Amino acid sequence: MAAIQKFQFQNSPGGVAKLREKLSQTLFPDELEDATWDYGVPLQDVKRVAAYWRDDFDWKKFEDRINKLPNYKASVTVDGFDPLEIHFVHKRSSKNNAIPLLFLHGWPGSFLEVEKLLPLLINEKQSGGASFHIVAPSLPNHGFSSGVKSRGFGLSQYSEAMHKLMLSLGYDQFACAGGDWGMCIGRVMSQRFPTSLKVCYYSLVPSTPPSPATPWTFVPFLIKHLLKMYTAAESEGLARSQEFQKTGMGYYQLQTTRPQTIGYLLADSPVGLLAWIYEKLRDWTDNYPWTDEEICTWVSMYWFSTAGPAASVRLYYESLRGEFPTKSGGYVPHVKLGLAYFPKEIFRLPKAWGSSLGEVVFEHEHERGGHFASWEVPEGVAGDLQVMFGKGGGAYGAVKVDKN
Amino acid sequence: MSATQPFQISVPQEKIDTLKSKLSQAEFPDELAASGWDLGAPLADVKRLARAWENWDWRQAEERLNKVPQYTTPITVDGFHELNIHFVWQKSEVKNAIPLLFVHGWPGSFLEVLPILPLLAAPGGPAFHIVAPSLPNFGFSSGVKTRGFGAKQYAETCHKLMLSLGYNEYVTQGGDWGFYITRAIGYFYPSHCRASHINMLRADPPTFLKHPTLALQHKLAPYSQKEKDGFARTEWFGKEGRGYFIEQATKPQTLAYALNDSPVALLAWIYEKLHDWTDSHPWTDDEIFTWISIYYFSTAGPGAAHRIYYEFMHPRPDSISREDLHRWIPNVKLGLAYNPKELSVLPKSWCRTLGPVVFESFNESGGHFYATEKPAFLARDLRTMFGKGGGAFKVVKGKSGYDRTPRAYPAKL
Repeated sequence: MAAIQKFQFQNSPGGVAKLREKLSQTLFPDELEDATWDYGVPLQDVKRVAAYWRDDFDWKKFEDRINKLPNYKASVTVDGFDPLEIHFVHKRSSKNNAIPLLFLHGWPGSFLEVEKLLPLLINEKQSGGASFHIVAPSLPNHGFSSGVKSRGFGLSQYSEAMHKLMLSLGYDQFACAGGDWGMCIGRVMSQRFPTSLKVCYYSLVPSTPPSPATPWTFVPFLIKHLLKMYTAAESEGLARSQEFQKTGMGYYQLQTTRPQTIGYLLADSPVGLLAWIYEKLRDWTDNYPWTDEEICTWVSMYWFSTAGPAASVRLYYESLRGEFPTKSGGYVPHVKLGLAYFPKEIFRLPKAWGSSLGEVVFEHEHERGGHFASWEVPEGVAGDLQVMFGKGGGAYGAVKVDKN
Repeated sequence: MSATQPFQISVPQEKIDTLKSKLSQAEFPDELAASGWDLGAPLADVKRLARAWENWDWRQAEERLNKVPQYTTPITVDGFHELNIHFVWQKSEVKNAIPLLFVHGWPGSFLEVLPILPLLAAPGGPAFHIVAPSLPNFGFSSGVKTRGFGAKQYAETCHKLMLSLGYNEYVTQGGDWGFYITRAIGYFYPSHCRASHINMLRADPPTFLKHPTLALQHKLAPYSQKEKDGFARTEWFGKEGRGYFIEQATKPQTLAYALNDSPVALLAWIYEKLHDWTDSHPWTDDEIFTWISIYYFSTAGPGAAHRIYYEFMHPRPDSISREDLHRWIPNVKLGLAYNPKELSVLPKSWCRTLGPVVFESFNESGGHFYATEKPAFLARDLRTMFGKGGGAFKVVKGKSGYDRTPRAYPAKL
């Protein structure tokens, strides 16, 4: 059994001083006169946030905000690797038969993305809605979890780590919610551990068009496609997905092939890291009004992560290799799916394609929101989970909770 | 011509001090065990180089470089502000020397011409007047302040530079962006750019419609082992090696912050290419630091150079796309150098669709930085192509490369 200990985060005064020193010595590039966000993060925005980060960011508030959450650490050993210390938030419902929900973040997110969901999900007064025990870890190489030191720690290993964590907390059956890597890890976990992981909720839906091998879905798809019979939302989503492929894949191509080289940029230049992440916060969201404080909070999670910012991009490299590379899976049986479609996601594909992933028991097309749905529209995500798992919902009773 | 001024590199001491200070405070990531070069530049290399660069003497490199004749001249490209263009200019004693424009790429610079200067000046071959500029945004040329400075503008800059030096007709050499820019020069200025030698060959397979003979050859003859190896290398680069390209072509500003702020970032970014793109070239520390310092101390700053990727990939309507530059361009005689460790290694039948080919060299070794890795091969190529009996001999009117006519006529009595 993994030894579980409470965890209290503390700022490193030396680290903060060094960050401020580096920020003071920043050499900024120039910028083309008529450049906009289409060239990357504008100079005035980076300068503004860098100055805020150096002079105005409230480090005590940052520390307190993290420590308001119930934080723990547990030792988890994945086959073939040294033991890892996994940090996680663990918030239990007062109801014993609440559903254990593993909330997985992605890149450049963190466990903190659960912050806004917690009060919405642990709302005991709501009748008919589901109750949850929530586990929100820092993924290995991210946040306050250990860094991995050897190669080959791919999606299979991430899923094994998360599965072992849940088991160590006494949750033999559980559900999973996530987007970005959270979704990918959920997909692999549901292939590897179908007796444990019974339901997945994805806010990023990696569906593929139906294949000719299943004519009952393929023919309608073909007709719809040729006659362009997609809804306005779906057409826009397809266009946005294509645009993302054209203009948004630079970071992906780099991180999947040369993560170490990128690591030097992210480790030595705080504005380098800031720009790298800030670009995604803006490009991947639905005009979310990021405050400078929020941006610095997210970037600080990487600058001050236990493993360092360079470690976080290694998953991209590993995800293309190993037993369960990103593109694998297709239809995954035995696990019920809830799919949420957000209009400003990086790819947003037609609803009918969702059946390529598994048994879809819940679907919701949202009017607002993008890649960081739990942060942008937490009430939307919480609402989905409560409906999906509540009485009459498609995943009601899917997770056996008698033992809890 | 009067606007052309001699130039000596003189980096302000403040910049050198800042570089050393930043290097001394550099923070390094960790590294996964047994990574080698697979995930990028190895940590041990980057750490060692960062420490050595901090202790390296730029001034001795500067002094060495200033022995090479350098100049600047103002050039105005249509629709843009005036740019100060820095260039190396080695004039030959031979009156009829051939004007040769040498165009670098990324992460190269005017430095790449240096190894061939003495080789081309040696007796026994045609003489050249050699012009090797720093492209706008690179080296000691101005930075461009507005968007849209792409293929057409780079071509115009180089062409106007040659005209300003009195070279109405000239020939070119280039690889990397030098390939694209010299091709664009040939496209836009065919009555001026008479021949081009290129060492990075991007081309499409021949189609029966456009290149029936080549297409037939292509269909009938199986690919040689070398050509198959070439495909493998090209595919490797396409799958594993293009991350930098896509980032630079889509989000150049985002990348600029790290490259401008952290010399270690710049070092790793460029050093990775010096390793991956060459045929095991034994880079000395001195070479590495000189190359990277040209970026660090550049007039436009290290965050500016890679904007060329964005601009070429977003061509304006009056410009030309990269794909167009992979296709037949008439009138400009071509010399092709095939190097096994180039990033795009394509069969002859494909490369011959680029234009009227009058010279080819097939090298057993060498990669992307041809002039640096194999200066003797490149010099041989140019002297053969442009020399007596070469496919581009006398391609420039009145500039044969020799002061006496090739055939010994009896003197008039």
